[in-house]
Amino acid sequence: MSVSGIEAAGFTPYVAPQVGVQSTPSPQAPSAPNADFGGMVLDGIERLEGVQDRADGLAAQAAAGTLSNIHDYTMAATEASVTTQLTVAVRNKAVEAFTEIMRMQVG
Amino acid sequence: MGAFEMLRIANTSLGMHQTWLDALGNNIANANDVTSTDQKAFQAQMVTAQARPDGGVDVSGIALGSAEGILTYAPDHPLADADGMVRAAAVDMPRQMSQLIIAQRGFQASVQTTKTAQDVYSSALQIGRP
Repeated sequence: MSVSGIEAAGFTPYVAPQVGVQSTPSPQAPSAPNADFGGMVLDGIERLEGVQDRADGLAAQAAAGTLSNIHDYTMAATEASVTTQLTVAVRNKAVEAFTEIMRMQVG
Repeated sequence: MGAFEMLRIANTSLGMHQTWLDALGNNIANANDVTSTDQKAFQAQMVTAQARPDGGVDVSGIALGSAEGILTYAPDHPLADADGMVRAAAVDMPRQMSQLIIAQRGFQASVQTTKTAQDVYSSALQIGRP
């Protein structure tokens, strides 16, 4: 999308980052690392662990008084919290799907 | 490019404004410094900011103000030279105070960005929830 009126005045339109486009597996070519659902969840949990470790490290720095910027910690804590919520949401969806299938009546 | 770009960009802005506030605090703290004429006067710090190519802002450097200061006639001052002159710091106090408010407002705006980012992420997590 381009806004010609604004571009003419020397404005460069912001190119939005393509979040998650690469990670969406297409039916022809599944993405290389851990294409199956279980692997994907494991990847998510590993990433969550990394984010939480960073927040924990900064919390320790805050307690020790060596933290130079307060917002570094609050930001890491926010990221950890949102990532946790996301991981839990994905897990809940998976369990929901599983119970739905278990409820199916066969024969 | 992660899912937390909004937070990362707001974080760079918070960092820049923090540095700016630090520099302004230092300038105000030293606004009344007086030195002898054979020494440099206190040099006010001016933070220069630059946009990052991947989004966000960076402190590109801290420029220093005039080392000459303001030559003031103060014969009673213990640091005064033979002519009774001293060097007072050339810090423009009203300018520092107004910049302090601008920097504070900028910091607050960045905090608001992080709050909005959090709201956006929570909305995304609500998708598909009954």
